[in-house]
Amino acid sequence: MPRLSVRHAALAAVIVMVSVGEASAHCFVGGRFLPATLIVDDPCVADELSLPTVAAFKNGDFPSARELDISGEYSKRITDNFGISVAETWTHLAPPGGPNASGFQNLETTFKYQFLTDATHELVLSAAVSVEWGNTGARGVGAESFSTITPTFFFGMGMGDLPDAARWLRPIALTGQIGYAVPSSASKMIFGVDPDTGETTVDVEHHPRFLVYGGSLQYSMPYLKSSVVDLGLPEFINHLIPLVEAQFQTAIANDFDVVTHTTGTVNPGVIWVGNYFQVGVEALIPINRASGSAVGVIGQLHFYLDDIFPRSIGRPLFASNSNPGRPMFGN
Amino acid sequence: MRFHALAAVTVALVASMGDAQAHASLDRADPRVGSTVASAPRALSLWFSQKVEPAFSTVEVRDAAGARVDQGKPHGGGNVLQVGLRSLPVGTYNVHWRVLSVDTHITEGSFSFQVGQ
Repeated sequence: MPRLSVRHAALAAVIVMVSVGEASAHCFVGGRFLPATLIVDDPCVADELSLPTVAAFKNGDFPSARELDISGEYSKRITDNFGISVAETWTHLAPPGGPNASGFQNLETTFKYQFLTDATHELVLSAAVSVEWGNTGARGVGAESFSTITPTFFFGMGMGDLPDAARWLRPIALTGQIGYAVPSSASKMIFGVDPDTGETTVDVEHHPRFLVYGGSLQYSMPYLKSSVVDLGLPEFINHLIPLVEAQFQTAIANDFDVVTHTTGTVNPGVIWVGNYFQVGVEALIPINRASGSAVGVIGQLHFYLDDIFPRSIGRPLFASNSNPGRPMFGN
Repeated sequence: MRFHALAAVTVALVASMGDAQAHASLDRADPRVGSTVASAPRALSLWFSQKVEPAFSTVEVRDAAGARVDQGKPHGGGNVLQVGLRSLPVGTYNVHWRVLSVDTHITEGSFSFQVGQ
């Protein structure tokens, strides 16, 4: 029988108290790490902070305005598998000929439950409800007066199961999401005055329901080095995850006022993954004129709070001893 | 003013990292991940990105038929784990490691290497 030192015994006591099952954190599943992607949310619940995310692009307005978005998002695990996140974005708009406008977008909150973590097959599934709270932002930058509720399904899957003949493809991972955005009000009346007759006019602005969907295709150099073949590449290269993200929204109901039904961007880029944080940068390529008039750029600094503060704010508020959704370990 | 607060939070987070411990990921191995070695190694060594606890970590090495060819509990200290190996004939060997880092994060991974092929 192995003899345990006092240090090991103390550590074992700590492990029992905190329960190893929930002591892990950001998006690990088996030997796979899924980074926090910039456009599409990753499928895990985690203690993490994206601060800042900066995007600069020409938006889909007619005429197109130069837009700068600076945002932050804080995610907190309440239990091992349930977490909430709060996000806020500050926007600066510079339309041609002015005037410029600045202000905050509506506050967004997300409640996510990670209901499956299959380490053997590197598979993660989760479901969430996001709420954009109406009237919490500035109208001048497009914040709506109504709220929008978006139930969303997320998945993440690594290709580590591929046979030896395809081992170079094992570092590939896919993540995705699909949601249905429902405004809290179907329409609103807009009153005006006809300049010719002086009579009161009434227009109806419809608020469409959108299918919101997207995903990412990733090639993990860390996975290549640690699980497939160590090529002796420079350490900086071994921390990179090249990826392509894409996100779209399609108006599918109450869409009487919609001219272009599907908008979105395709976003090739790369994420550098460290022990405590990651840095990502991607191009924002609009799929049509209604999505933007030029290629933009987005960058993000993202902190793993579970690794920076593993014994305090980086842990779930309520950790449990059982963890059925995480058969191998707590992520 | 809000941006100054955001900048302060960012700086504070970066400053906090000095004392932090992260998930332990596999940094390198001997025999190397995915490599072919000419002669059978006597031991397998794993270097991790963080300090790990050998008493609460496992390293299993199996041959192509799934039989264990390691000599049991890994030993080591700091960032390194080592496990002895039985006499390995020519073939492919699969390694599965599962480690506890000193801040109680658990990570795991797998890789293979070949002997004499």
